[in-house]
Amino acid sequence: MAHYEEVNVHGYDEFCRAVSERKGKDIFAYFSGDKDEKGKSWCPDCVKAEPVVRGVLSHLPEGSVFIYCQVGERAYWKDPNNDFKKTLKLTGVPTLLRYGTPQKLVEEECFKADLVKMMFTED
Amino acid sequence: MAAFCRGRHRWKKINCLHIFSRKLTGKYDYDMLVIGGGSGGLACSKEAQLGQKVAVLDYVEPSAKTKWGLGGTCVNVGCIPKKLMHQAALLGTAVKDAQKYGWQIPGTITHDATMAEAVQNHVKSLNWGHRVQLQDRKVKYMNLKGSLVDEHTVRGLNKAGKETILTAKNIVIATGGRPKYPTNIPGAVEHGITSDDIFWLKKSPGKVALECAGFLTGIGLDTTVMVRSIALRGFDQQMAGLVTDYMEAYGTRFAWKSVPNRVDKLPSGALQVTWTNTQTGGEHKDTFDCVLWAVRAPETKALGLDKLGIQLNKETGKIIVGADESASVPNIYAFGDIGEGRPELTPTAIKAGKLLARRLAGQSAELMNYDNVPTTVFTPLEYSCVGLSEEEAEKRHGKDRIEVYHAFYKPLEFTVAERDASQCYIKQVVCERGGNGKILGLHFTGPNAGEVAQGFAMSFCGATYSHLVQTVGIHPTCAEEVVKVHITKRSGLDATVTGC
Repeated sequence: MAHYEEVNVHGYDEFCRAVSERKGKDIFAYFSGDKDEKGKSWCPDCVKAEPVVRGVLSHLPEGSVFIYCQVGERAYWKDPNNDFKKTLKLTGVPTLLRYGTPQKLVEEECFKADLVKMMFTED
Repeated sequence: MAAFCRGRHRWKKINCLHIFSRKLTGKYDYDMLVIGGGSGGLACSKEAQLGQKVAVLDYVEPSAKTKWGLGGTCVNVGCIPKKLMHQAALLGTAVKDAQKYGWQIPGTITHDATMAEAVQNHVKSLNWGHRVQLQDRKVKYMNLKGSLVDEHTVRGLNKAGKETILTAKNIVIATGGRPKYPTNIPGAVEHGITSDDIFWLKKSPGKVALECAGFLTGIGLDTTVMVRSIALRGFDQQMAGLVTDYMEAYGTRFAWKSVPNRVDKLPSGALQVTWTNTQTGGEHKDTFDCVLWAVRAPETKALGLDKLGIQLNKETGKIIVGADESASVPNIYAFGDIGEGRPELTPTAIKAGKLLARRLAGQSAELMNYDNVPTTVFTPLEYSCVGLSEEEAEKRHGKDRIEVYHAFYKPLEFTVAERDASQCYIKQVVCERGGNGKILGLHFTGPNAGEVAQGFAMSFCGATYSHLVQTVGIHPTCAEEVVKVHITKRSGLDATVTGC
């Protein structure tokens, strides 16, 4: 059994609910463009980064939470006023962040397993 | 290694030595090991990564009250938080001015803890940014306190006291400085704080050196600065006087020519400071909520430098270095605030670090040029300078051989705001009287002094007074007054600029 909790959410409201239900926990969130019925995302970088991130999940701290969040369709994401951009200040997908801290990896940074591992293992 | 060679392989000794003298991981763990992850150390280690194996050790010995992340003084407890808090104070003044410009501001304006949290969040994002960059450039970062064992060996201690031994072809010391508590003054350590702590306090302190005092006054706190002899030692003293005059006019108090004797904590929790005015001999006391010591010292104590015979300047305690940043022991280099005679500035540390890395990698022979480095003091009235002070120019060239052009000007923005501009001033020190003299020093007090002076710093690669005068000003700005200066001190004429 994994030493962390994985949560799958879709959209901003679900994301916020998942976070508020886990106050006080170390939350890591991975934001990706929506996947189609075949499980492929419209965002090519997200497709490339996901296996890299998943390959390092074993290094997550004990008791932490990993939220996999699909942000929406491409058109929703392109709107500069969408909630993720406006409130969470995301600038691109994929984004991997440690909630409540300035630690984040954006786009190509998510392709680098050593950077992802660094975020999971360092204070 | 030597034992391995002797015992196991009966090769001729020559072959062994050839293998060991091969570069990279042949003999040492690293090609370059940097002690200190501040402005200088990070720039140096990031630059050196092309084909080189580089490591950087950074460790913050907590001051009595605070500890922070990667990035050194500038990022955590220096330039960055300082400038943000300076900006906070300027905005407070701007809001007051706004009413004169027609803005309806309801009620009284107060200041709260939002600033501290916002600044700390930005600093933390910079700590993270540096971590990512180091990782990306394959620089090995270790959170260890480094000290020298010999000219190729460093001992690193983690916070639990566990030891790691590392070897390197070249060792670079970039540990900078830390505030110094005056341990001879009773109560100073227990009851006082330093600039290390001021940027991380959650609650506002009560009363505090010039930039801290400036922004503290700007956010509404009653602040006093105690000065032993002069303010801004080493800077042009006429300009230093204008800076402190402005601060006094805007509410910062100064206790001149005074030395503190003791700090006592009263039952109320307030701090009572007793001091002597060295001019009158009189003793004074007053109570404050907070006492801040604003003196710095180089961070060399725990480095083990004496063991290797690395020479330090007896007065300052800094490491004596050559023009190529080399210390008195081969393979050891030091630069940044820790280097004797070097400016205590981030941009010079960064540049020197990069050039050092390139030289050590054999990519270039370029040395750092420390002449004509521009600086800005971010006091409420900002002061920028490049080149020589008037005193230094007189000393080097003789009063008769220099011409000083100057002007008192009034920023246009101050007019409607009804703000006093008596200390807004420009001074150019020019060599060789007559129109073609080379500019030796430029001094400017006024809003955005740093932005104004940056461009003029370029002119110090040989510009003369006539170059400056040929430059057309941008109107209406404060910066244009620099190119319009034409009254000399020698003439004795009124140097106040009248409106256009």
